[in-house]
Amino acid sequence: MTGSGPSAALVTRIALLAVVAVFLQTGVVSEVPLFGVNIDLSPLVVAFVGLLCGSTVGAVTGFAVGLLVDLTLVQTLGVTSLIFTLVGYWSGRLKELRDPQAAITPLLVGAAATAGSLVGYSIVEFLLGVDAPVSLELLRQILIGIVLNTVVALPVWAVVRRILEGGLPDDPRRRRRRRRAYTTGGLSPLSRHT
Amino acid sequence: MLALLVVLSLLLLTAYFGETSNGSLHAVQRGFLTVISPIQDGANKALKPVRNMFSSIDDAFHAKSQRNQLLKQVDKLRAELIANQAEKRSYRELLGLYHLDGRLNVSDYQPVTATVVGKSPNIWYETVVIDQGESSGVRVNDPVINGEGLVGKVAQVASDGAEVNLITDSTMGVSARIGTTTATGIVQPKVGDPNDLLLQYLPANTQSNPGEYVVTSGTVASPDDSLYPPGILIGQVTSENEESGYKSVNVRPAVNLHNLDIVQVLTAAQNSLPVNLARLTSSLPVGQSPGASGAQGEQLASTGAGE
Repeated sequence: MTGSGPSAALVTRIALLAVVAVFLQTGVVSEVPLFGVNIDLSPLVVAFVGLLCGSTVGAVTGFAVGLLVDLTLVQTLGVTSLIFTLVGYWSGRLKELRDPQAAITPLLVGAAATAGSLVGYSIVEFLLGVDAPVSLELLRQILIGIVLNTVVALPVWAVVRRILEGGLPDDPRRRRRRRRAYTTGGLSPLSRHT
Repeated sequence: MLALLVVLSLLLLTAYFGETSNGSLHAVQRGFLTVISPIQDGANKALKPVRNMFSSIDDAFHAKSQRNQLLKQVDKLRAELIANQAEKRSYRELLGLYHLDGRLNVSDYQPVTATVVGKSPNIWYETVVIDQGESSGVRVNDPVINGEGLVGKVAQVASDGAEVNLITDSTMGVSARIGTTTATGIVQPKVGDPNDLLLQYLPANTQSNPGEYVVTSGTVASPDDSLYPPGILIGQVTSENEESGYKSVNVRPAVNLHNLDIVQVLTAAQNSLPVNLARLTSSLPVGQSPGASGAQGEQLASTGAGE
Protein backbone atom coordinates (compact mmCIF):
# COMPACT_ATOMS: atom_id res chain seq x y z
CA MET A 1 0.00 0.00 0.00
CA THR A 2 1.18 3.55 -0.45
CA GLY A 3 2.42 5.67 2.43
CA SER A 4 -0.85 7.64 2.56
CA GLY A 5 -2.80 4.47 3.42
CA PRO A 6 -5.79 2.91 1.74
CA SER A 7 -8.51 5.11 0.26
CA ALA A 8 -11.96 5.36 1.83
CA ALA A 9 -13.42 3.59 -1.20
CA LEU A 10 -11.08 0.63 -0.69
CA VAL A 11 -11.83 0.42 3.04
CA THR A 12 -15.56 0.44 2.31
CA ARG A 13 -15.20 -2.29 -0.29
CA ILE A 14 -13.08 -4.45 2.04
CA ALA A 15 -15.55 -3.98 4.92
CA LEU A 16 -18.47 -4.93 2.70
CA LEU A 17 -16.58 -7.93 1.34
CA ALA A 18 -15.69 -9.10 4.87
CA VAL A 19 -19.27 -8.85 6.18
CA VAL A 20 -20.79 -10.58 3.14
CA ALA A 21 -18.13 -13.32 3.25
CA VAL A 22 -18.73 -14.06 6.95
CA PHE A 23 -22.53 -14.12 6.55
CA LEU A 24 -22.31 -16.27 3.44
CA GLN A 25 -19.95 -18.59 5.26
CA THR A 26 -22.04 -19.03 8.42
CA GLY A 27 -25.42 -19.04 6.68
CA VAL A 28 -24.82 -21.12 3.57
CA VAL A 29 -21.37 -22.59 3.02
CA SER A 30 -21.06 -24.07 6.53
CA GLU A 31 -24.41 -25.80 6.08
CA VAL A 32 -23.25 -27.72 3.03
CA PRO A 33 -20.64 -30.30 4.02
CA LEU A 34 -18.60 -31.99 1.31
CA PHE A 35 -16.93 -35.25 2.33
CA GLY A 36 -17.76 -34.35 5.94
CA VAL A 37 -15.86 -31.03 5.78
CA ASN A 38 -16.93 -27.45 5.09
CA ILE A 39 -15.36 -25.02 2.69
CA ASP A 40 -14.02 -22.02 4.64
CA LEU A 41 -14.16 -18.81 2.62
CA SER A 42 -12.79 -16.55 5.36
CA PRO A 43 -9.04 -17.40 5.13
CA LEU A 44 -9.27 -17.19 1.33
CA VAL A 45 -10.83 -13.72 1.43
CA VAL A 46 -8.25 -12.50 3.97
CA ALA A 47 -5.32 -13.92 1.99
CA PHE A 48 -6.58 -12.41 -1.28
CA VAL A 49 -7.12 -9.00 0.27
CA GLY A 50 -3.50 -9.16 1.48
CA LEU A 51 -2.33 -10.30 -1.94
CA LEU A 52 -4.04 -7.33 -3.60
CA CYS A 53 -3.56 -4.59 -0.98
CA GLY A 54 -0.37 -5.43 0.91
CA SER A 55 0.66 -6.56 4.38
CA THR A 56 -0.81 -3.78 6.55
CA VAL A 57 -4.26 -3.91 4.99
CA GLY A 58 -4.06 -7.72 4.91
CA ALA A 59 -3.25 -7.91 8.62
CA VAL A 60 -5.96 -5.42 9.63
CA THR A 61 -8.53 -7.20 7.44
CA GLY A 62 -7.48 -10.53 8.96
CA PHE A 63 -7.95 -9.19 12.47
CA ALA A 64 -11.36 -7.68 11.65
CA VAL A 65 -12.67 -10.77 9.82
CA GLY A 66 -11.39 -13.01 12.61
CA LEU A 67 -13.11 -10.89 15.25
CA LEU A 68 -16.35 -10.91 13.24
CA VAL A 69 -16.20 -14.72 12.89
CA ASP A 70 -15.54 -15.20 16.62
CA LEU A 71 -18.34 -12.81 17.57
CA THR A 72 -20.87 -14.23 15.10
CA LEU A 73 -20.22 -17.87 15.99
CA VAL A 74 -19.74 -17.26 19.73
CA GLN A 75 -16.26 -18.77 19.67
CA THR A 76 -13.26 -17.99 21.87
CA LEU A 77 -12.48 -14.34 21.08
CA GLY A 78 -9.05 -13.71 19.66
CA VAL A 79 -8.26 -17.15 18.22
CA THR A 80 -9.46 -16.51 14.68
CA SER A 81 -8.24 -12.88 14.81
CA LEU A 82 -4.72 -14.03 15.67
CA ILE A 83 -4.60 -16.63 12.90
CA PHE A 84 -6.17 -14.45 10.21
CA THR A 85 -3.93 -11.48 11.11
CA LEU A 86 -0.91 -13.67 10.35
CA VAL A 87 -2.51 -15.03 7.16
CA GLY A 88 -3.31 -11.53 5.88
CA TYR A 89 0.14 -10.21 6.77
CA TRP A 90 1.92 -13.14 5.11
CA SER A 91 0.02 -12.85 1.83
CA GLY A 92 0.58 -9.07 1.84
CA ARG A 93 4.31 -9.53 2.33
CA LEU A 94 4.30 -12.01 -0.56
CA LYS A 95 2.88 -9.31 -2.81
CA GLU A 96 5.29 -6.66 -1.54
CA LEU A 97 8.43 -8.77 -1.85
CA ARG A 98 7.75 -10.92 -4.93
CA ASP A 99 4.47 -9.72 -6.48
CA PRO A 100 3.83 -13.09 -8.16
CA GLN A 101 1.87 -12.73 -11.38
CA ALA A 102 1.45 -16.39 -12.40
CA ALA A 103 -2.11 -17.58 -12.97
CA ILE A 104 -1.58 -20.32 -10.41
CA THR A 105 -0.64 -17.86 -7.63
CA PRO A 106 -4.17 -17.52 -6.10
CA LEU A 107 -4.44 -21.31 -6.05
CA LEU A 108 -1.18 -21.71 -4.13
CA VAL A 109 -1.86 -18.75 -1.84
CA GLY A 110 -5.37 -20.11 -1.10
CA ALA A 111 -4.01 -23.55 -0.28
CA ALA A 112 -1.23 -22.11 1.91
CA ALA A 113 -3.63 -19.74 3.71
CA THR A 114 -6.07 -22.59 4.42
CA ALA A 115 -3.29 -24.90 5.58
CA GLY A 116 -1.87 -22.14 7.77
CA SER A 117 -5.23 -21.33 9.35
CA LEU A 118 -6.15 -24.99 9.99
CA VAL A 119 -2.75 -25.83 11.47
CA GLY A 120 -2.86 -22.55 13.41
CA TYR A 121 -6.26 -23.47 14.88
CA SER A 122 -4.95 -26.89 15.84
CA ILE A 123 -1.92 -25.40 17.62
CA VAL A 124 -3.98 -22.79 19.49
CA GLU A 125 -6.60 -25.36 20.49
CA PHE A 126 -3.90 -27.72 21.79
CA LEU A 127 -2.39 -24.84 23.75
CA LEU A 128 -5.82 -24.04 25.20
CA GLY A 129 -6.13 -27.66 26.31
CA VAL A 130 -8.82 -29.07 24.04
CA ASP A 131 -8.83 -32.84 24.48
CA ALA A 132 -8.27 -33.94 20.88
CA PRO A 133 -4.84 -35.37 20.10
CA VAL A 134 -3.63 -35.70 16.53
CA SER A 135 -5.41 -38.57 14.83
CA LEU A 136 -5.74 -39.84 11.29
CA GLU A 137 -9.33 -38.56 11.16
CA LEU A 138 -8.24 -35.07 12.13
CA LEU A 139 -5.43 -35.07 9.57
CA ARG A 140 -7.87 -36.37 6.95
CA GLN A 141 -10.27 -33.52 7.69
CA ILE A 142 -7.49 -30.94 7.51
CA LEU A 143 -6.28 -32.34 4.18
CA ILE A 144 -9.78 -32.43 2.67
CA GLY A 145 -10.34 -28.89 3.93
CA ILE A 146 -7.19 -27.70 2.15
CA VAL A 147 -8.16 -29.49 -1.08
CA LEU A 148 -11.73 -28.08 -1.06
CA ASN A 149 -10.53 -24.54 -0.37
CA THR A 150 -7.93 -24.87 -3.14
CA VAL A 151 -10.68 -25.91 -5.55
CA VAL A 152 -12.73 -22.79 -4.79
CA ALA A 153 -9.69 -20.48 -4.53
CA LEU A 154 -9.79 -19.29 -8.16
CA PRO A 155 -13.47 -18.26 -8.21
CA VAL A 156 -13.07 -16.54 -4.82
CA TRP A 157 -9.95 -14.75 -6.11
CA ALA A 158 -11.87 -13.56 -9.18
CA VAL A 159 -14.70 -12.19 -7.01
CA VAL A 160 -12.36 -10.50 -4.49
CA ARG A 161 -10.26 -8.94 -7.26
CA ARG A 162 -13.33 -7.69 -9.09
CA ILE A 163 -14.76 -6.09 -5.95
CA LEU A 164 -11.50 -4.43 -4.87
CA GLU A 165 -10.08 -3.50 -8.28
CA GLY A 166 -11.92 -0.17 -8.51
CA GLY A 167 -10.60 0.94 -5.10
CA LEU A 168 -6.97 -0.08 -5.61
CA PRO A 169 -4.35 2.62 -6.34
CA ASP A 170 -2.76 2.34 -9.76
CA ASP A 171 0.33 0.18 -9.34
CA PRO A 172 3.26 1.57 -11.46
CA ARG A 173 4.50 -1.91 -12.34
CA ARG A 174 1.03 -3.03 -13.43
CA ARG A 175 0.64 0.20 -15.43
CA ARG A 176 3.98 -0.48 -17.18
CA ARG A 177 2.93 -4.00 -18.06
CA ARG A 178 -0.40 -2.77 -19.38
CA ARG A 179 1.34 -0.11 -21.53
CA ARG A 180 3.77 -2.71 -22.92
CA ALA A 181 0.87 -5.01 -23.84
CA TYR A 182 -0.94 -2.11 -25.43
CA THR A 183 1.95 -0.93 -27.62
CA THR A 184 3.33 -4.32 -28.66
CA GLY A 185 0.35 -6.63 -28.69
CA GLY A 186 -3.01 -6.89 -30.33
CA LEU A 187 -4.48 -4.18 -28.12
CA SER A 188 -2.84 -1.39 -30.11
CA PRO A 189 -5.11 0.21 -32.68
CA LEU A 190 -2.01 0.49 -34.93
CA SER A 191 -1.46 -3.25 -34.93
CA ARG A 192 -4.94 -3.85 -36.33
CA HIS A 193 -3.99 -2.14 -39.59
CA THR A 194 -0.70 -3.95 -40.08
CA MET B 1 1.07 -2.87 13.03
CA LEU B 2 1.44 -6.65 12.91
CA ALA B 3 2.85 -6.76 16.43
CA LEU B 4 0.03 -4.56 17.72
CA LEU B 5 -2.67 -6.76 16.17
CA VAL B 6 -1.04 -9.97 17.40
CA VAL B 7 -0.72 -8.57 20.93
CA LEU B 8 -4.36 -7.40 20.79
CA SER B 9 -5.50 -10.86 19.67
CA LEU B 10 -3.49 -12.53 22.43
CA LEU B 11 -4.90 -10.14 25.02
CA LEU B 12 -8.45 -10.86 23.82
CA LEU B 13 -7.80 -14.59 23.85
CA THR B 14 -6.27 -14.59 27.33
CA ALA B 15 -8.98 -12.35 28.81
CA TYR B 16 -11.81 -14.35 27.19
CA PHE B 17 -10.38 -17.72 28.17
CA GLY B 18 -9.71 -16.58 31.72
CA GLU B 19 -13.09 -15.04 32.53
CA THR B 20 -16.33 -16.75 33.49
CA SER B 21 -19.36 -16.93 31.20
CA ASN B 22 -20.70 -13.81 32.97
CA GLY B 23 -17.56 -11.80 32.15
CA SER B 24 -17.50 -8.59 30.14
CA LEU B 25 -16.20 -10.12 26.88
CA HIS B 26 -18.87 -12.83 27.02
CA ALA B 27 -21.44 -10.08 27.60
CA VAL B 28 -20.16 -8.18 24.55
CA GLN B 29 -20.44 -11.39 22.53
CA ARG B 30 -24.00 -11.96 23.73
CA GLY B 31 -24.86 -8.35 22.89
CA PHE B 32 -23.44 -8.80 19.41
CA LEU B 33 -25.44 -12.01 19.02
CA THR B 34 -28.60 -10.15 20.05
CA VAL B 35 -27.99 -7.48 17.41
CA ILE B 36 -26.98 -9.86 14.68
CA SER B 37 -29.55 -12.65 15.25
CA PRO B 38 -32.40 -10.96 13.30
CA ILE B 39 -30.01 -10.18 10.43
CA GLN B 40 -28.71 -13.74 10.44
CA ASP B 41 -32.27 -15.03 10.54
CA GLY B 42 -33.23 -12.90 7.53
CA ALA B 43 -30.09 -13.86 5.62
CA ASN B 44 -30.69 -17.50 6.48
CA LYS B 45 -34.22 -17.40 5.06
CA ALA B 46 -33.14 -15.49 1.97
CA LEU B 47 -30.27 -17.86 1.26
CA LYS B 48 -32.22 -21.04 1.98
CA PRO B 49 -32.88 -21.84 -1.71
CA VAL B 50 -29.14 -21.64 -2.43
CA ARG B 51 -28.38 -23.91 0.50
CA ASN B 52 -31.07 -26.38 -0.53
CA MET B 53 -29.68 -26.50 -4.05
CA PHE B 54 -26.21 -27.47 -2.81
CA SER B 55 -27.69 -29.90 -0.28
CA SER B 56 -29.72 -31.66 -2.95
CA ILE B 57 -26.57 -32.14 -5.06
CA ASP B 58 -24.84 -33.67 -2.05
CA ASP B 59 -27.92 -35.82 -1.31
CA ALA B 60 -27.98 -37.13 -4.87
CA PHE B 61 -24.42 -38.41 -4.48
CA HIS B 62 -25.34 -40.38 -1.37
CA ALA B 63 -28.87 -41.43 -2.36
CA LYS B 64 -28.08 -44.96 -3.51
CA SER B 65 -26.02 -46.01 -0.52
CA GLN B 66 -28.56 -44.41 1.81
CA ARG B 67 -31.43 -46.29 0.15
CA ASN B 68 -29.68 -49.66 0.61
CA GLN B 69 -28.87 -48.81 4.19
CA LEU B 70 -32.45 -47.73 4.88
CA LEU B 71 -33.90 -50.89 3.34
CA LYS B 72 -31.81 -52.99 5.71
CA GLN B 73 -32.88 -50.76 8.56
CA VAL B 74 -36.57 -51.16 7.68
CA ASP B 75 -36.27 -54.95 7.85
CA LYS B 76 -34.59 -54.73 11.21
CA LEU B 77 -37.01 -52.17 12.58
CA ARG B 78 -40.04 -54.18 11.51
CA ALA B 79 -38.89 -57.06 13.69
CA GLU B 80 -38.10 -54.68 16.54
CA LEU B 81 -41.47 -52.98 16.25
CA ILE B 82 -43.33 -56.20 16.94
CA ALA B 83 -41.25 -56.83 20.05
CA ASN B 84 -41.52 -53.23 21.17
CA GLN B 85 -45.30 -53.15 20.91
CA ALA B 86 -45.52 -55.81 23.60
CA GLU B 87 -42.98 -53.98 25.72
CA LYS B 88 -44.75 -50.69 25.25
CA ARG B 89 -47.97 -52.11 26.56
CA SER B 90 -46.36 -53.29 29.78
CA TYR B 91 -44.39 -50.05 30.06
CA ARG B 92 -47.60 -48.01 29.88
CA GLU B 93 -49.15 -50.15 32.54
CA LEU B 94 -46.18 -49.55 34.81
CA LEU B 95 -46.21 -45.81 34.19
CA GLY B 96 -49.89 -45.72 34.93
CA LEU B 97 -49.20 -47.38 38.25
CA TYR B 98 -46.88 -44.57 39.22
CA HIS B 99 -49.17 -41.87 37.81
CA LEU B 100 -46.36 -40.71 35.58
CA ASP B 101 -47.90 -41.46 32.22
CA GLY B 102 -48.07 -38.44 30.01
CA ARG B 103 -45.59 -36.56 32.19
CA LEU B 104 -42.47 -37.83 30.46
CA ASN B 105 -43.45 -36.80 26.96
CA VAL B 106 -41.26 -34.32 25.17
CA SER B 107 -44.26 -31.99 24.82
CA ASP B 108 -44.23 -31.57 28.59
CA TYR B 109 -40.76 -30.08 28.39
CA GLN B 110 -42.20 -26.99 26.64
CA PRO B 111 -40.26 -27.36 23.39
CA VAL B 112 -39.38 -24.14 21.59
CA THR B 113 -38.83 -24.57 17.86
CA ALA B 114 -35.76 -22.76 16.52
CA THR B 115 -33.96 -22.40 13.22
CA VAL B 116 -30.21 -22.89 12.92
CA VAL B 117 -28.89 -19.60 11.57
CA GLY B 118 -25.13 -20.12 11.88
CA LYS B 119 -22.61 -22.90 12.05
CA SER B 120 -18.90 -22.84 12.61
CA PRO B 121 -16.92 -24.01 9.57
CA ASN B 122 -14.08 -25.01 11.85
CA ILE B 123 -13.60 -28.62 12.91
CA TRP B 124 -12.56 -27.39 16.37
CA TYR B 125 -15.88 -25.75 17.21
CA GLU B 126 -18.86 -28.12 17.28
CA THR B 127 -21.43 -25.39 17.82
CA VAL B 128 -24.40 -23.87 16.02
CA VAL B 129 -26.27 -20.61 16.53
CA ILE B 130 -30.09 -20.67 16.73
CA ASP B 131 -32.62 -17.86 16.35
CA GLN B 132 -34.41 -18.29 19.71
CA GLY B 133 -33.13 -17.00 23.01
CA GLU B 134 -34.10 -15.72 26.45
CA SER B 135 -37.21 -13.99 25.09
CA SER B 136 -38.61 -17.43 24.17
CA GLY B 137 -37.68 -19.01 27.49
CA VAL B 138 -34.43 -20.60 26.33
CA ARG B 139 -31.82 -20.91 29.09
CA VAL B 140 -28.27 -22.16 29.40
CA ASN B 141 -28.05 -25.99 29.61
CA ASP B 142 -31.47 -26.59 28.02
CA PRO B 143 -31.40 -29.80 25.94
CA VAL B 144 -31.74 -29.42 22.16
CA ILE B 145 -33.27 -32.12 19.96
CA ASN B 146 -34.62 -32.60 16.47
CA GLY B 147 -36.70 -35.26 14.73
CA GLU B 148 -33.71 -37.59 14.48
CA GLY B 149 -32.59 -37.42 18.11
CA LEU B 150 -30.41 -35.50 20.54
CA VAL B 151 -28.57 -32.52 19.08
CA GLY B 152 -26.86 -30.98 22.13
CA LYS B 153 -27.45 -28.37 24.79
CA VAL B 154 -27.59 -24.58 25.03
CA ALA B 155 -24.22 -23.08 25.94
CA GLN B 156 -24.86 -19.33 25.79
CA VAL B 157 -28.03 -17.28 25.50
CA ALA B 158 -28.81 -13.83 24.17
CA SER B 159 -32.28 -12.30 24.04
CA ASP B 160 -33.08 -13.51 20.50
CA GLY B 161 -30.41 -16.10 19.86
CA ALA B 162 -28.39 -18.82 21.50
CA GLU B 163 -25.29 -20.90 20.98
CA VAL B 164 -25.76 -24.68 21.08
CA ASN B 165 -22.96 -27.12 21.86
CA LEU B 166 -23.47 -30.19 19.68
CA ILE B 167 -23.14 -33.67 21.22
CA THR B 168 -19.83 -34.01 19.38
CA ASP B 169 -18.36 -30.98 21.20
CA SER B 170 -15.48 -31.84 23.51
CA THR B 171 -17.25 -30.24 26.49
CA MET B 172 -20.31 -32.52 26.25
CA GLY B 173 -21.24 -35.58 28.26
CA VAL B 174 -24.67 -37.20 28.31
CA SER B 175 -25.96 -39.87 30.66
CA ALA B 176 -27.16 -42.71 28.40
CA ARG B 177 -27.92 -46.40 28.10
CA ILE B 178 -28.05 -49.00 25.36
CA GLY B 179 -31.69 -49.54 24.38
CA THR B 180 -32.20 -53.04 25.77
CA THR B 181 -30.12 -52.70 28.95
CA THR B 182 -30.57 -50.83 32.20
CA ALA B 183 -26.89 -50.03 32.77
CA THR B 184 -26.04 -46.39 32.23
CA GLY B 185 -22.85 -44.74 31.03
CA ILE B 186 -21.68 -41.37 29.77
CA VAL B 187 -21.71 -40.51 26.07
CA GLN B 188 -18.83 -38.25 25.08
CA PRO B 189 -17.17 -37.33 21.78
CA LYS B 190 -14.55 -39.80 20.70
CA VAL B 191 -11.17 -38.17 21.16
CA GLY B 192 -9.54 -37.49 17.81
CA ASP B 193 -12.64 -38.35 15.79
CA PRO B 194 -15.10 -35.44 15.85
CA ASN B 195 -17.82 -37.35 14.02
CA ASP B 196 -17.97 -40.28 16.44
CA LEU B 197 -19.16 -40.78 20.02
CA LEU B 198 -18.12 -43.09 22.83
CA LEU B 199 -20.47 -44.52 25.47
CA GLN B 200 -18.13 -44.99 28.41
CA TYR B 201 -18.13 -46.38 31.95
CA LEU B 202 -20.61 -49.17 31.30
CA PRO B 203 -20.36 -52.17 33.65
CA ALA B 204 -18.04 -54.81 32.17
CA ASN B 205 -20.85 -57.37 31.83
CA THR B 206 -23.11 -55.07 29.75
CA GLN B 207 -24.38 -56.80 26.61
CA SER B 208 -24.23 -54.78 23.40
CA ASN B 209 -24.48 -55.56 19.72
CA PRO B 210 -23.67 -53.43 16.68
CA GLY B 211 -26.78 -51.64 15.44
CA GLU B 212 -28.39 -51.35 18.87
CA TYR B 213 -29.74 -47.93 19.77
CA VAL B 214 -28.22 -45.71 22.44
CA VAL B 215 -30.73 -43.44 24.18
CA THR B 216 -30.64 -40.86 26.95
CA SER B 217 -31.12 -42.45 30.36
CA GLY B 218 -33.10 -39.54 31.80
CA THR B 219 -30.81 -39.20 34.80
CA VAL B 220 -28.44 -36.40 35.73
CA ALA B 221 -24.82 -36.87 36.68
CA SER B 222 -24.93 -34.19 39.36
CA PRO B 223 -27.56 -31.75 40.67
CA ASP B 224 -26.16 -28.94 38.52
CA ASP B 225 -26.29 -30.84 35.25
CA SER B 226 -28.93 -30.50 32.58
CA LEU B 227 -31.40 -33.28 32.07
CA TYR B 228 -32.08 -34.92 28.79
CA PRO B 229 -35.53 -36.54 28.83
CA PRO B 230 -35.32 -40.34 28.86
CA GLY B 231 -35.45 -42.32 25.65
CA ILE B 232 -34.16 -39.67 23.24
CA LEU B 233 -32.14 -41.36 20.53
CA ILE B 234 -28.44 -40.50 20.53
CA GLY B 235 -27.08 -43.01 18.01
CA GLN B 236 -26.33 -46.61 17.13
CA VAL B 237 -23.64 -48.91 18.48
CA THR B 238 -20.93 -49.58 15.89
CA SER B 239 -18.38 -51.56 17.91
CA GLU B 240 -17.31 -52.22 21.49
CA ASN B 241 -14.07 -51.85 23.43
CA GLU B 242 -13.01 -53.66 26.58
CA GLU B 243 -11.25 -51.48 29.12
CA SER B 244 -9.99 -52.29 32.57
CA GLY B 245 -13.02 -52.55 34.83
CA TYR B 246 -15.44 -50.86 32.44
CA LYS B 247 -16.75 -51.33 28.99
CA SER B 248 -17.17 -48.68 26.30
CA VAL B 249 -18.91 -48.78 22.94
CA ASN B 250 -18.47 -46.65 19.85
CA VAL B 251 -21.64 -44.84 18.84
CA ARG B 252 -22.51 -43.28 15.49
CA PRO B 253 -24.70 -40.18 16.09
CA ALA B 254 -28.27 -40.53 14.83
CA VAL B 255 -28.56 -36.86 14.00
CA ASN B 256 -26.89 -35.53 10.88
CA LEU B 257 -25.06 -32.75 12.68
CA HIS B 258 -23.65 -31.35 9.45
CA ASN B 259 -27.10 -30.58 8.12
CA LEU B 260 -29.17 -29.06 10.91
CA ASP B 261 -32.03 -26.78 10.06
CA ILE B 262 -34.93 -26.93 12.54
CA VAL B 263 -34.33 -27.93 16.17
CA GLN B 264 -36.34 -27.89 19.40
CA VAL B 265 -35.10 -26.53 22.72
CA LEU B 266 -36.65 -28.25 25.72
CA THR B 267 -37.09 -25.22 27.91
CA ALA B 268 -38.81 -26.86 30.87
CA ALA B 269 -36.30 -29.66 31.27
CA GLN B 270 -34.41 -28.09 34.14
CA ASN B 271 -37.30 -27.78 36.56
CA SER B 272 -39.45 -30.65 35.37
CA LEU B 273 -40.65 -33.59 37.41
CA PRO B 274 -38.01 -36.02 36.13
CA VAL B 275 -35.23 -33.58 36.98
CA ASN B 276 -36.51 -33.07 40.45
CA LEU B 277 -36.84 -36.83 40.91
CA ALA B 278 -33.32 -37.38 39.57
CA ARG B 279 -31.90 -34.64 41.82
CA LEU B 280 -33.64 -36.20 44.78
CA THR B 281 -32.12 -39.58 43.91
CA SER B 282 -28.64 -38.15 43.43
CA SER B 283 -28.83 -36.41 46.79
CA LEU B 284 -29.41 -39.75 48.54
CA PRO B 285 -26.43 -41.52 50.15
CA VAL B 286 -24.71 -43.93 47.75
CA GLY B 287 -26.05 -47.01 49.54
CA GLN B 288 -29.66 -45.93 48.86
CA SER B 289 -29.16 -45.27 45.15
CA PRO B 290 -31.32 -47.38 42.89
CA GLY B 291 -28.47 -49.39 41.35
CA ALA B 292 -24.76 -49.92 41.67
CA SER B 293 -24.09 -49.13 38.02
CA GLY B 294 -25.97 -45.85 38.21
CA ALA B 295 -24.00 -44.78 41.26
CA GLN B 296 -20.74 -45.62 39.55
CA GLY B 297 -21.71 -43.59 36.52
CA GLU B 298 -22.60 -40.59 38.62
CA GLN B 299 -19.35 -40.75 40.56
CA LEU B 300 -17.35 -41.00 37.36
CA ALA B 301 -19.27 -38.18 35.79
CA SER B 302 -18.69 -35.90 38.74
CA THR B 303 -14.95 -36.54 38.53
CA GLY B 304 -14.64 -34.95 35.14
CA ALA B 305 -16.58 -37.04 32.72
CA GLY B 306 -19.86 -35.38 33.47
CA GLU B 307 -21.96 -33.04 31.44
